[in-house]
Amino acid sequence: MEVQGKMIIQAKKLSKTYKLFEKEAGLRGSIKSLFNRKYIYKTALSDFDLEVNEREFVGLIGPNGAGKTTLIKLLTGIIAPTSGELSVLGYYPNNLEYAFKKQYAVVMGQKSQLFSELSAADTFLLFKELYGIPTDEYQRNLDYFVKLFDVEKLLNVQVRTLSLGERMKMELIVALLHNPRVLFLDEPTIGLDAVAQKQIRMFLREVNKTRGTTIILTSHYMEDIKSLCKRCVVVNRGEKIYDGSTDALFEKYQTHKKISLSFSEATDFVLPQGCTLVDQNPQKCTFMVPVEASREVVYSLIQQYNLRDIIIQEDDIGSVVERIYGDRQVKRS
Amino acid sequence: MKKYLEIAKIHFKAQIAYRFDVAMTMVFTISKILFAYILWDAVFGQNETVAGFTFPMMFSYYIISSFLYQIEMSDRVSWEVSARIRDGSFSKYMVIPVNPQRYFIAQTLGAMMFYPLFIFASTAAWVVLFRVKLVIACDTAVIAAALIMTVLGLLFMIQLNYLLGILAFRFQDISVFLMIKGNIVAFITGALVPLVLLPRGIVSVMRFFPFYYVTYLPSMLLIGRNKEEALTGIAVLAAWLLLFTILNKYAYSKFRVMYDGVGI
Repeated sequence: MEVQGKMIIQAKKLSKTYKLFEKEAGLRGSIKSLFNRKYIYKTALSDFDLEVNEREFVGLIGPNGAGKTTLIKLLTGIIAPTSGELSVLGYYPNNLEYAFKKQYAVVMGQKSQLFSELSAADTFLLFKELYGIPTDEYQRNLDYFVKLFDVEKLLNVQVRTLSLGERMKMELIVALLHNPRVLFLDEPTIGLDAVAQKQIRMFLREVNKTRGTTIILTSHYMEDIKSLCKRCVVVNRGEKIYDGSTDALFEKYQTHKKISLSFSEATDFVLPQGCTLVDQNPQKCTFMVPVEASREVVYSLIQQYNLRDIIIQEDDIGSVVERIYGDRQVKRS
Repeated sequence: MKKYLEIAKIHFKAQIAYRFDVAMTMVFTISKILFAYILWDAVFGQNETVAGFTFPMMFSYYIISSFLYQIEMSDRVSWEVSARIRDGSFSKYMVIPVNPQRYFIAQTLGAMMFYPLFIFASTAAWVVLFRVKLVIACDTAVIAAALIMTVLGLLFMIQLNYLLGILAFRFQDISVFLMIKGNIVAFITGALVPLVLLPRGIVSVMRFFPFYYVTYLPSMLLIGRNKEEALTGIAVLAAWLLLFTILNKYAYSKFRVMYDGVGI
């Protein structure tokens, strides 16, 4: 049985509101805004409660603009909350104390800590000094991660010449060299191909399991969340709408599969009963089918039509979130 | 301290990553001296002195001041800090255990480190190959004062530019501040024209400000002039440096809470 550690992240009624400058389109709007500046307030996170124990692997999911990245920024101290209480590893993150920063790491999919003109090994040396990692510990950690990721031959190669997947591996090594207790990952697999995604997942699973690193992961990829996180938190419009078992979430809300058919010739396709059409033309058709009927539908389609290709996909995160949100609205009313 | 040395080292390494850039910097440095030689030769013509300067003295002044002007790379700090605040990538300095201001000081010092090598090499080439006379102060105390002043001046300029950079936490666009500062600094530091060519009243007002001591006075000291101003210069620069260190600390703690980290 997996042992969960003590609570290391606690947020109570956490809120964050951004002040945004608003301007009407066009030249007139630009001139008007010089004299009469308008601001709007956008609540990115509202009364958000969260508790995370040591060694947990928690997935944060939600559509774009839901508040996931804002939450990561609050937890790492990059921004200050508008209201609410927050404690990470016993610190108030926005005080930005060195003792706190030495205990966590953050990897943002589209922002790099690596120096593109230099090799990854140069950045590793920099981080050794930044975190004051003793030489033997540094070497031990480096050897471990390099072997785990199989990147030995890439260590002395200029970073800008690495592929996206290779660069992400290096980013993760940089983040983990100092043995952080908590690792925040914001879309680490974004833009990566399937092979690289799989490797990153394997790496993260290993780090969580063998090193006991608590990991908070945001991702748009269903597979990341399903294969890595036992627990997931769903955020929508700044509110927490689900917090619990990942398996239970998908069992309850991932109710459909998306089927895309390509026909060998122009075909007059008839949508099977109980399915919802997404897109159709004589050569292609995409529709949603209830999970429990998917096997039967696929079988009959293969019998019935002259198919060139068939793609079966899981429901995307956006649809799952929409269903949870809809469910909550119904319960509230 | 060791971590800031490593930051300086990595930026030095990044600076010499491309051979073409390095070669072009060298060519640019050498050609700059050539153009200065031609220009001042034409200005002097048949005259022995111009504004109390002999030709070798003026030429030495130009070499030294342009060298100091070249290593004064603090402009990058304001542009980089403000750009990173605007695009959200300033976050990367907030999540690692460093003081961002010291990070940028180390970064600038690291990036400028390789310029002295080129300047010395190209100046030596001019002196040896073309037999150009250089006028350099012989007094070690004066040379030491000039070097201390140079270091304080560089640190002050980084502080000033960092302060302008972090104004981006508060203001959307700081390019106007930077433009004004650029024009004032280029004029007051004497990088364009020796300040002795300006009216005495203006020069005495400038002495209360730090810019006079950043490029101009160290250059003059190194060619053996204005020795009596050395101690005053160090004291004025140290005072401004202290003031800006405190001001930056205050401004950063006040403004950083306005940061939204937009873009990540």
